[in-house]
Parts: sequence; C-alpha cells; structure tokens
Amino acid sequence: MKNIYRPIEATVEDIIEESPTIKTFVLRPKEHFEFKAGQFIELTLPGIGEAPFTPSSDSNVKDRIDVTVMNVGRITSLLHAAAKNISVGIRGPYGKGYPLEKFFGKDVLIVGGGVGLAPLRSLLFSLFAEIDKYNKVILRYGARTPSDIIYKEAIPVWAKKKKVDLVTTVDVGNPTCDVGDPAWKGNVGLVTTILKDLPVDLNNTISIVCGPPIMMKFVTLKLLDSGFKPKDIYLSMEKNMSCGLGKCGHCRIGKYYACKDGPVFTYEELKEILDIWD
Amino acid sequence: MNNSYYINSTQLSIFLGRLSSNYKVFVPVAKEVAAKGEKKVDYSYRLLSGEQPLIYNSYRTTEPLKSFFTPPYEKLTDYFTAEQHVTAQIDKVIIFGVKNCDIVGHRVQDFVFCEGVETDPLYKLRRENTIFISSDCTDFKEVCHCLSWDILPYPTEGFDLNLTSLSEGYLLEVGSTKGEELIQQYKEYFIPAKETQVSARKAKRENLIERLKKHLLPQNLVSKDTVQGLVRQGYSLDTWQEFMLTCVECGGCNLICDTCHCFLLADAKERIQNEKVRVWDSCLYANYARVAGGANPLKLRKQRLRNRFMKKFDFFVDNLGMPACCGCGRCIEVCPGKIDIREVLKDLAKKLQKL
Repeated sequence: MKNIYRPIEATVEDIIEESPTIKTFVLRPKEHFEFKAGQFIELTLPGIGEAPFTPSSDSNVKDRIDVTVMNVGRITSLLHAAAKNISVGIRGPYGKGYPLEKFFGKDVLIVGGGVGLAPLRSLLFSLFAEIDKYNKVILRYGARTPSDIIYKEAIPVWAKKKKVDLVTTVDVGNPTCDVGDPAWKGNVGLVTTILKDLPVDLNNTISIVCGPPIMMKFVTLKLLDSGFKPKDIYLSMEKNMSCGLGKCGHCRIGKYYACKDGPVFTYEELKEILDIWD
Repeated sequence: MNNSYYINSTQLSIFLGRLSSNYKVFVPVAKEVAAKGEKKVDYSYRLLSGEQPLIYNSYRTTEPLKSFFTPPYEKLTDYFTAEQHVTAQIDKVIIFGVKNCDIVGHRVQDFVFCEGVETDPLYKLRRENTIFISSDCTDFKEVCHCLSWDILPYPTEGFDLNLTSLSEGYLLEVGSTKGEELIQQYKEYFIPAKETQVSARKAKRENLIERLKKHLLPQNLVSKDTVQGLVRQGYSLDTWQEFMLTCVECGGCNLICDTCHCFLLADAKERIQNEKVRVWDSCLYANYARVAGGANPLKLRKQRLRNRFMKKFDFFVDNLGMPACCGCGRCIEVCPGKIDIREVLKDLAKKLQKL
C-alpha cells in the first residue's frame, strides 16, 4: 500500500531575498513531482518539522518548485537561517488548486496582499501560458510598505503584458525609501482602495483573492458590495495544518478541510460558516 | 438471519488457547474500582497467553478501540530512504468483547483513515488483519447512553462474530465471511444453535433494553435528529463559557473518545535517521489551532469546547450522516472538570427552547 506520509527529497538550489521578511526558495526535487497552481506542499526540514506552502513557481516547469516564505514561526525562521544546498522534504501536492477551466473567456480579477502574491504568481504563470483563453487579467496588489513588495522585478514585466492591467499600492508610503528607486510614486492606501471602478464586466468576471485573513475579509466585502456574486469569488483559506491530506483534523472549516477540500474555496461555499474569518 | 453456533464455557477456554497460538488475542480483564454508588468493575483489554476462561465484560472497556489501529505514538515512515509502498509486518489480531457502541463509533475512524484522498496504509492493513468478536452488553454504566443515539447495546452489523452469554455457554452469531471462516477452521468446538437458545438471546436483549430505557428516559437526552440544529443555533449561547469554567485542558475527552482522531504528523530523529511520527492530539489543547505567526482562532477554551461539539455534531453529520458520538460515556468518566456531554447538549436545548 502507498506510503502516504513519505516525503521526497529536494535540494535548495537558490535563495532569493524578496523583502526583509520574505525569501523565495528554489527547490529541485530528486523524484518526479508535479503540482497545479493553487495546490500546496508540506515542506519538511529534516528531523525538525513541516509547514505547508503553496508553490509560487510555474506549474508547467516540471523540475523546479519555488516556495515564497515569510519568516514568522519556528519552521520558517529555521528555513530563513538555512544555507543553499540543504536537503528538504516535500509531500504533496495537496488540495484542489485553481479551477482554471472555470475562468476561460472571463475577466480574471486577482487581488493579492503581501506574501499572498506567492500562490497568485503560480496562477499568473498558468494564465500567461494560455492568455488567449482569458478575456483579460486585472491584478491589484498591496503590500505594507514598498520594501515589503515581493517579485519587485517581475511586477513591471507583468504590467506590460498584453491583456494585463496591473495596479499596486502600499498601506504606508515609505519616505525614507530603502529599496532601489526613489520615494514611492505609486498609490498609498489599503488594497481595498484600488478596487474602485474596476474595468470588468460584472456578468463575466471571477475574482481570486489571496492574502492575510483580515485583508481577504475586507476585500470580499468590498467585492460583494461592488456586485460580485459569492460563487465568483475564490478565496485561499488558511488554517493550522499537519497532515495536509484530510485526516489529522486540524484544518477544519465548517464541513470542509482547508487541505483536501481547498485551500481554494468560493465564498458561496464558505458564507454560511460562522467562524470563517477567525 | 445470520448463522449462530453454540459453544460451552469449557470448550471456549480451549478454543481461546488454540486461537492464541495463531493470533494475537485480546480479551477483557476486570478491575475492581472504588467508586461511590457506581458500578464497581471496569474492564481493559489484555493480550491472552494460552488457555483461559473468558472474562465476559458486561459493558465496554475503559480504553477505546482506536488504540489497536492508531497507537498514541508511532513511527510512520523513515526518510529519505523509505520505499514508496509500505511493507510492514502486520500481526493477525482477534479482539474479544467489543461492544456495539465501539463498533458504531469506530465507523468514524474507518471513514477518516480509509476514505478521502488517501488511505492510511498501517490503519488499513491492521483493520484487514483484525477480527472483532463482539459481545452483547449485559449491564450498563451510569454514563452509558448509546440508546439515546439509536445505538443498541448489541451489534447487528460491523462484527465478525458476536458472543451472547447463556447459562452454561455462549452463542456465537456470524456477522461476516471472516467470522464464518473462523468457525469453520475450528468447527470441532461448535454446534449449530438451537431455536430455544436464539429465543433466550432475544429475551436477554429485550430485557436489557427495557432496563436501559428506564435509565435514560428521565434524563431527557438530546436525539440524533436534533443535535446538529442545536449546535448550529446554539453557536452564540453562553453554554460554552459556562461549561468551560472547569476545563483543565487535559485532553482526556479527545484521547479516550473512540470517534476522536486528531493527530500531529511530527518529525523526529532516531540517532541519525529522520522519521515521521504520528502522535495523538487534542482540540482542547491551547495551541491546537494556533498558526505560525501567533494568531489562534481557538484561543479561548469556550471556543475549543464549541469547536469540539461542532466537529462531532455538525461536521460528521454532514460528512458521514451520523453524529460522532456513540454514547459510551468515556469522556464523562475521564473529565477531571466534570464536564458532561449530555449536560452540554441539554443546556443548549433548554436555552434554545426559551428563545
């Protein structure tokens, strides 16, 4: 019988600093490993512990998995302190991923907050690979300060792609500006403030949101207010996870498990759940 | 109508001895317990080592059945040298004295570990290699309330063989192909049951049910048809706060419950070898839902008590069609804070009726 708890080995080939608290780890798995955008892996620090991450790399590139990780806890702080070429373990892919076929022919609104842009980058790779299947891609991204923006070099490249409309904002402008170019000239305000007058056809749009729970809550409310239907709002739900495959019980949301039934859910599936935003 | 066989007590002891040379046989043992106004005997399972008279447990054991399939701490796999497939040596096990409450409750474990996106290999292999020889209850503890969940004190399915004790021997009812095969393997010990013996069994069962009904009726317990509605509508009531005042977060209720299954998939090192281990967890522990950055959606004990009830009476009703409670009362006995699942549900019902 299949050994479902067995991790495969991967090497950390490169470490990219995205922000003072966020790094992207480029992993090379030693066995065949595939995932779809929106699915997640359980990353093992050998002998120490595991944590779930959604790959931020292109799912069409089969021998490389990037995970973009914020330094917030026990595993992530050890990972941030690690050097290149260490061995890590990967279990997965788990979860359902984004249902791309449901987005064909539509305006795709993507709203990201902070490190929430990580799974969304993987989604963007999937969309860009077959951009003709989608009407347009509208990306609205917010970070706390300019230095907290991730994929800083990629963002201007995406903004220039055909069918892409991209706006970024920061919660707090940073007058002392510390990364690269002069003082931030872009929008200042929470990401909800750049969700006004969206260039979308409400009858033919879906929206995909990913970021801190409080950001997802207020963005959802804003989208509902603007006329988006619950079934067209896709949310990445977060819960404490352990097994990642629907047995350990930790990540229950209502009648679902955030791992095997998610992590991507429509608001329609979640709206009756009493403690959804806790 | 299933086949039933008769075996007298002496023969049963010999039969047990024969079994113990080919199987790991677990039988009930009795322990005197000092308690005021409560039954003076508790039962546990112990590995049989040879020919012995069977101790017939009147009601369920203290420990849950799940310990046989998912022990409290166990190594699941090495890494990175482990194979893609599990090749463990699995013991052939027979468990005597399983009660219907455990058989029904155990459906939750089967659902969790065998269904879904993956099958837990060790659980599945152990399940396939275990024979349940259940038995009728002949008595009940104060905390027993199986009938309130429409669960009978004797099994009608989910067993391999079921024992009923008669005056000088036992009836064994066949419940599965495995059970019939076991009888045939040792057929020299058994004779087909007589009509009178089958009737005697029926009478004993009806007698116990009458006694159990008399015990449960005045308690006015919540039924499985209303319990999901109660926990959903009772979400914001102060019931949760009131009952959590005496909780010491020991996790006993989860650890001893046969429908509770939460575990941590953790990492360990055995000298230089890395391992994944499974450890029982409890949703009453403070950090059960805590995420890496420190946020904790179940920070307060009242949230955790409520979460446990939502899992048992909302989640499983939606996902499995039955509440994850078999009325065995183990959680009531184990709780140092005297939190009683029957009382929590009744409190919800009482308060919601007033609203």
